[in-house]
Amino acid sequence: MANLSTIDSISHYGPIVVLLVMAILFGVGNVILTTVLGPRSQGPVKGMAYESGMNPFSSARRRFHVRFYVVAMTFLLFDVEIVFLYPWAVVFGSLADESALRPLFLGRVLFFLLTSVVAFTYAWRKGVFRYD
Amino acid sequence: MTESVILEKLATLWPEIIMISGACICMVVGLSPKQAVRRSVVWITGLALAVAGLLLVAPHFGWWAGETSGGAAGLATAMFVRLSVILLGLLLWLTSWGVPDLLPATQVAEAAAAQGRPFNPSMVCRGEYFAFFLFSLTGAMLCASANDLVWLFLALELTSLPTYIMVATGRNHMAAQEAGLKYFFLGALSVAIFLYGFSLVYGATGTTVIVSTQLQPVSIAGYVAGLQGEFPPLLATGLLLSLVGLAFKIAAFPMHFYVADVYQGAATPVTALLAFVPKMAGFVSIMLLLSVIGWPLPVPVMWVLWIMAAVTMTVGNVLGLLQNNVKRVLAYSSIAHSGYLLVGIVAGPTTSAGTLGQGLAAVLFYIVVYGLATIGAFSVLGCLRVNGEEAQTYDEISGLSRRYPGLALLMLISILSLIGLPPLAGFVGKVYLFGSAISGSFIGLMVVAAINTAVSAVYYLRIIGACYFGESRIKIELVATRAGRLSAGLAAIAVLVLGFRGGWLVEATREATRSVSVVDVDTQPQVAAPDHLSSE
Repeated sequence: MANLSTIDSISHYGPIVVLLVMAILFGVGNVILTTVLGPRSQGPVKGMAYESGMNPFSSARRRFHVRFYVVAMTFLLFDVEIVFLYPWAVVFGSLADESALRPLFLGRVLFFLLTSVVAFTYAWRKGVFRYD
Repeated sequence: MTESVILEKLATLWPEIIMISGACICMVVGLSPKQAVRRSVVWITGLALAVAGLLLVAPHFGWWAGETSGGAAGLATAMFVRLSVILLGLLLWLTSWGVPDLLPATQVAEAAAAQGRPFNPSMVCRGEYFAFFLFSLTGAMLCASANDLVWLFLALELTSLPTYIMVATGRNHMAAQEAGLKYFFLGALSVAIFLYGFSLVYGATGTTVIVSTQLQPVSIAGYVAGLQGEFPPLLATGLLLSLVGLAFKIAAFPMHFYVADVYQGAATPVTALLAFVPKMAGFVSIMLLLSVIGWPLPVPVMWVLWIMAAVTMTVGNVLGLLQNNVKRVLAYSSIAHSGYLLVGIVAGPTTSAGTLGQGLAAVLFYIVVYGLATIGAFSVLGCLRVNGEEAQTYDEISGLSRRYPGLALLMLISILSLIGLPPLAGFVGKVYLFGSAISGSFIGLMVVAAINTAVSAVYYLRIIGACYFGESRIKIELVATRAGRLSAGLAAIAVLVLGFRGGWLVEATREATRSVSVVDVDTQPQVAAPDHLSSE
């Protein structure tokens, strides 16, 4: 009895294990395949750092403008707010069509988005997105 | 929590909703290109506070059929705390009136705008200051109506997070930056500690609901009642960690290290806020958490609080003696007063019906009285400048009575109330508080508190001595803050009135704490331990 339930609960994780194995095989397999099959050519241009086709002109280890951090933090904030929409969307989809909770749920998420809009307006007016 | 419960709860929160909306409006309006509009944030803040206060008392007078249920602490306690936060919040609002306008960056931006150049919103934090002010007050109010550990945690964070920023931005000085950083990091540490405590409490009881009148959902109080006096170590550890973390909010030992530096570094009106709002939130949370195990407290918890109270007041008063800076003195006095307040928490509500027997009522009364006196003292300090900087040391306020007799008198009243001299409200508060210790037979703690009160008189009297008998060597000037003086005046009047005619407030606190009572196993729902624990 105990064994059966243990196996049963572990088998929930089966798909994850399969996904993990596939991911590892895909990654390792591609590396092996390219080393075996791919053409080889060495040279100074080949050894250069690749950054979207631009020629690198200095080291990347330098000080960034503080603006970069502000933009990064703002991005993180709004990014996380988007993540909050996912659980809402899942629950909202499972509600019955004529359920009285639907307008309530919609109203709540709209209120949540409104607070984001306030935050966005504030950041904009504060000059977070200005580059001059 | 089911849908209807959430909706019912939301319907009780209209004052808080008004204040949050007011804060959002301040945030946006403070950046308006029109000067008259962006200056109106002060009025919007006051309006939000006033409307919230009216909504809070409206059901009582029958103007509006509003809320009916409080949190774990009961409707009356929540009502008392919320109302006192709003009323003292109005005083703090007056004290804060000119804070963002006095910042050099604001003045530069406003001067440029006055000459017709476009207004630069990134230099001014007027809207933010008042928005964060409202957020912090709202957090303290939400603590009072909490009935869930998650809710309590969020409310406590809403109280503290805005104050970190207010400390750093309220004053143009390196010390303010330093204070803000210290406050933030130590605050984060304390949050981690009490959150860990909450998680252990949840682990021990299997629920985050604090008190419930029904069997479902189960509550922590119900679980504890079901234990019949036994006390699992996991629950005890959780509660103790929560208490230690909350000690940061109330500025008590062992989390008191930040107090002097932060109070000194912050702008004085912000310091006044720090001295009252987080303390109120912290003490209400402690009362909520301890109400689940009930009074008389189990021996280990009682001794931890006993020692915390004794050490806190001794540390505060002894270190207060060594300071030369009035703001630091008042910071250590804030620590010491937390120690006195913990005496009431240790004593708790006792079964004897006498007026002096109510520890929790005494705590509520004393915290309001302490808030009034400390806001008065800080408001007076906030009005004074020396060479454009805040007046802080004994030397700088020396001879204040000759230059500004009115302000010196307000300072005198506030300080005498902090000492606890009759006929001021501080005296009534101390009698009430120490009386509860006697009727709970905590004579030792009461003796420690009495000795500490005597010690504290030394540094309090030094402040008065400097104001009244010192030579005025340094030129001290007044900043244009009529609101600050009004706030100090109102606080002093309140302290006087409560001293002579404070009976109604004593009655109100007794009424407020009636529902938080001594352990009575019969009245609490019996709930079996959660499955995952009983199977062990």
